[in-house]
Amino acid sequence: MSSTNVVVLDNGGGLIKAGFGVEHDPAVILPNCLYRSPSSKKWLHPHPLHTTTTSTDSTAAELDFTSAAVRRPLDRGYLINSDLQREIWSHLFSSILRINPTQSSLLVTEPLFTLPSIQRSLDELVFEDFNFRALYVADSPSLVHLYEASRRPDGLVSRAQCSLVVDCGFSFTHASPVFQNFTLNYGVKRIDLGGKALTNYLKELVSFRSVNVMEETFLIDDVKEKLCFVSLDVPRDLRLARESGKENLFRCTYVLPDGITYTKGFVKHPERIHNYLALKDGTCGFPPLPEETKGNMNRPEIAEMPQDRNRIDLSKNEFDLTNERFLVPEMIFQPANLGMNEAGLAECIVRAVNSCHPHLHPVLYESIILTGGSTLFPQFSERLEKELRPLVPDDYHVKITTQEDPILGVWRGGSLLASSPDFEAMCVTKSEYEELGSVRCRKRFFH
Amino acid sequence: MEDDGVRRMSSRTRKVASKMVAALASTDNRTQAAIARLDALENDNAGFEVADANNDDDEASLDDEEGYMQKKQSKSTKRKTRQAKALEARKAPRTFLELIHEANLESLPPHVPSYLRAAVGPPSSTSRRHFCTVCGFSASYTCVRCGMRFCSYRCQNVHNDTRCLKFVA
Repeated sequence: MSSTNVVVLDNGGGLIKAGFGVEHDPAVILPNCLYRSPSSKKWLHPHPLHTTTTSTDSTAAELDFTSAAVRRPLDRGYLINSDLQREIWSHLFSSILRINPTQSSLLVTEPLFTLPSIQRSLDELVFEDFNFRALYVADSPSLVHLYEASRRPDGLVSRAQCSLVVDCGFSFTHASPVFQNFTLNYGVKRIDLGGKALTNYLKELVSFRSVNVMEETFLIDDVKEKLCFVSLDVPRDLRLARESGKENLFRCTYVLPDGITYTKGFVKHPERIHNYLALKDGTCGFPPLPEETKGNMNRPEIAEMPQDRNRIDLSKNEFDLTNERFLVPEMIFQPANLGMNEAGLAECIVRAVNSCHPHLHPVLYESIILTGGSTLFPQFSERLEKELRPLVPDDYHVKITTQEDPILGVWRGGSLLASSPDFEAMCVTKSEYEELGSVRCRKRFFH
Repeated sequence: MEDDGVRRMSSRTRKVASKMVAALASTDNRTQAAIARLDALENDNAGFEVADANNDDDEASLDDEEGYMQKKQSKSTKRKTRQAKALEARKAPRTFLELIHEANLESLPPHVPSYLRAAVGPPSSTSRRHFCTVCGFSASYTCVRCGMRFCSYRCQNVHNDTRCLKFVA
């Protein structure tokens, strides 16, 4: 247990990141859900993923997530089921972190624009159910800003005390301007698309086209993390994805676990995963198209896909992905293609910037910080820059910074804040809460 | 083309989910179906039948004996009284959309930022790509019956055979 006794909790819709203030990495990363396999009646706690390994390949190692049903306390990013959250937190605090809440302070993240009723239920959870000594509620953009500013004390982010945090997480995507460590809430813009929707979309596509995987959320999560990428030129890639057989640069086969020889799904030819990188166009400073792909582009565009799909042997329990690999993350950039009446990420950023004071515009464009698990798709920032550049006035620079670990960025900022000397003074203590109540205590956090 | 002659169709009536019959009556309802499809993307658990979260949570409480008994009873009585429904609604966690509705965010003055005003809003250009719902490539044709997209004759057939007029996203 740390000497300061501040528990930092980034309560995400997909993953809980929890640990102690001052430390660099969270002690535990835990899926924020309970799961139940079809054969049992009990809801179980998933095992934490450890931070030393990458989050993708340690997930399903010892657990049987096959056809598991999931319950999540958060819906669309907001806490709706506090009973469930209490269950998960008490498991977290008592069996994993082994802390005594009555002697600890809690720093917890809350999404922007949380409704007062949800804020109240969070306060009740913290003070009445767990009896924490003190509470600080932070919003994630300001924590990310804090972390980035501290990492590069000479960088623009810390000199101007201003950045635009693009958080593309599990439940939604936010573009939030931060100024002087405060999120400018009138400038925040949100797209209702995140990793969960993308996984569900991929699940639908695979289920309709090859194997029914509608129940396999965790498996498809893995497929998405391993195989999906962001296309830099969608029409060209769509054309190339029509190629049949081995010539197709995008075709990858994912083998489903059969429970006997493999308990985990895997990609059949891992060396093929990155074939698409050869396609990077000249603007990004990569070598031009290889010879073979140039030749193939002249082929008549006859759809051979359905035939190809029929050729997949269903008994082998594997499926191929071609255009799905880039059309799924594409939805963040073009939600309209999915039928959503929402602007894409680039436009979302422009609107967020435009709602701020004009003097801030050039600085905001130059200090865009990408965070959140869904920004881990390969080529995400390249594509964003490519789309954003034409929308931004010519005399402004566009600079997109990626975090070295986008999933943990918020938590590290929280840990930093918890270690600052003023932290105790910023908290609301239990006695204050008991005296003033939830609403008036919340005024202290300025959001 | 094979379409020249009279198209031979089975005389059997097509099975359509009852919800969809109403939803497909007008173009406006068609967009409603599209919205429902988008909503389904936020579901935790798959299953086209688990359309609303309340059902989901009912099922979820079945793990203890009590819940199981209640379910049995409710099956036997067939119809719930209004009071019982209200009680159940109070017990079950509410969905986020219900909470939003309850918070009455529309009544806030226009300068106050809120969840609703933070939404990014419609795109500036109305153009969009349409992808074939069968194979995923760009689709030039629209199904006249349900409005889904397909790119070729072959995909049209697959579409008609599998999910035209079905409540499947």
